[in-house]
Amino acid sequence: MIGAVAFWRSLAFSLATVAVCVPRAGAQAVPLAERIEQCGGCHGADGNSPIEKIPSLAGQPEFFLLNQLFLMREGVRLIEPMTPFVKSLADGEMAALAKHYAGLQPKLTGAGPDPAVLARGAELAAARRCASCHLPSLAGQEQMPRLAKQRIDYLIHALTDIRDSRRSGADTVMSASVVALSDADLAALANYAASK
Amino acid sequence: MPTLSQRIGLCSASALAILIAATLPAATQAPPGFSPLDKSNPAASKQDGSLRPHATPPLPAALDKLPVDKLKLPPGFKAEVWSHGHAGGRTIVMGPKGTAFIGSRIIGRVYAVTEKAGKREAKVLLQGLTQPNGLAVKDGALYVLAINKVLRYDNIEDRLDNIGTPVDLTDKFNLPPDIHHNWKYAAFGPDAKLYIQVGANCNICEVNPGVHGQIRRYNPDGSGMEIVARGVRNTVGFDWHPVTKELWFTDNGRDWAGDAGPEDELNRIPKDKEGANFGFPYCHANGIPDLDIKRPDPCAGVVMPAALTGPHTAGLGIKFYTGGMFPAQYQNVAFIARRGSWNRGQKTGYDVIIARPQPDGTAKLEPFMTGLLDTGKNEFYGRPTYLLPLADGSMLVSDEQNGAIYRISYAAR
Repeated sequence: MIGAVAFWRSLAFSLATVAVCVPRAGAQAVPLAERIEQCGGCHGADGNSPIEKIPSLAGQPEFFLLNQLFLMREGVRLIEPMTPFVKSLADGEMAALAKHYAGLQPKLTGAGPDPAVLARGAELAAARRCASCHLPSLAGQEQMPRLAKQRIDYLIHALTDIRDSRRSGADTVMSASVVALSDADLAALANYAASK
Repeated sequence: MPTLSQRIGLCSASALAILIAATLPAATQAPPGFSPLDKSNPAASKQDGSLRPHATPPLPAALDKLPVDKLKLPPGFKAEVWSHGHAGGRTIVMGPKGTAFIGSRIIGRVYAVTEKAGKREAKVLLQGLTQPNGLAVKDGALYVLAINKVLRYDNIEDRLDNIGTPVDLTDKFNLPPDIHHNWKYAAFGPDAKLYIQVGANCNICEVNPGVHGQIRRYNPDGSGMEIVARGVRNTVGFDWHPVTKELWFTDNGRDWAGDAGPEDELNRIPKDKEGANFGFPYCHANGIPDLDIKRPDPCAGVVMPAALTGPHTAGLGIKFYTGGMFPAQYQNVAFIARRGSWNRGQKTGYDVIIARPQPDGTAKLEPFMTGLLDTGKNEFYGRPTYLLPLADGSMLVSDEQNGAIYRISYAAR
């Protein structure tokens, strides 16, 4: 595992040297264990993120993980810190990473849910029908992410981006699902979802 | 059988698209008085609450896994794989020099399919766009319409390896910023204007009729906007009748109002009714008042559909046939690709049907290409999305689920 400072240094270096033309088929294969170690630097060695606003990957649906890696590699989901890691991923590597993280045990990290807002969160989740795609357990399925046991600060960050049209690559039905919710509502939803 | 490289490198043209995509749409501003909040009541619909849209794989199916052998067609017709390896490929348009351009949704790519030394090859022309489903070709230029983005690539077929910077027409078209149901279908009409739709920004809600639920036409530079149809929930396919020049469009009905419908629609805009109202959100199908949004006389003044195309079947691409290969009974008949249902327990659609226009302005439907749905297992093997008649009279059908295009041809027995 690399430390945070070393990580950011290597990231800055990588960003400065992003190549324009990457022949994917000829890209150097990196062993899966090495890839996982890179991911673990931020997302946690066990796939449960120890860092604020960085999502946990453990127990996410395999298809969701593959799809998001793909969308990041393609630039549909633009997340600058992720770019150097995903740009050279071959299809098979994405599939292997997705399988690995889907099989890990999800664990809530970061701040615990605030009991004061859980009832409001549950009410909003019912009104906005989160369970219809994310399942009643909010464990996610196929292209829909797990919300249960996700970091609360990350869920707030993601929901806010979707509401404010800053997140690309999500199903457009999500922008309709969170429309007109206040910051407090989004926080209540995030607390409730993480608590499941 | 043509072969294609499934491994496609990221090249300079694609990097450009990434930079373009980095400019994300401005924050959604709902017009005052209208909320895009879904007004449906799934409990009242008595539908299975766990129904949800089917995922589109970001990776294409291998050539030997394509369901071409399952396709069933009328006698004398044959299906073969025309191209493959373009994951998520949907809309198909053809440049004057024979390049096929393929648009997509979530995957964010536009592909170019060319023929070199008898081999057909697909490459990623653009990537990183937000749902670039709208493609149109005019005077050698490719128009690419993504959500909240209109780009024009001049002389595209001479510059496939280095497509350069597009002319950004986004501000000229001034489309509403909402994201939901705002991926585009686009086509040039017989009047040389660019027709595009602005879908309802919800499943079912009160829409601002001045903004959403429309088909519009523009001059190619984005000026001179006119509304040609209102009350249209979500059309993502239209074409003009070869003789009457009237616009016919498919329209996807609302969800969470029951497995039985309201049925999707095939509509016709009568010549003297441009700008007319097609009913959304108050009146669906052939005159069914909405369950959740009520008002007196919901169907008053609403143009009724030419045909009902089935509950949740998701009719997308439509093309009238004028080619010389199929038998005479297919002349001026509309072919419609139905992507197939998600909001329905028993799946339906996943096929190509034909619509025969009748003298009274309605249309009669018949099956044409089936075999991608196993009703017994309630499983599907592919999702037909768009169609393109070729110069030789054959017809292309895109299969979004498998990232392939099939060619339908006919030979008399």
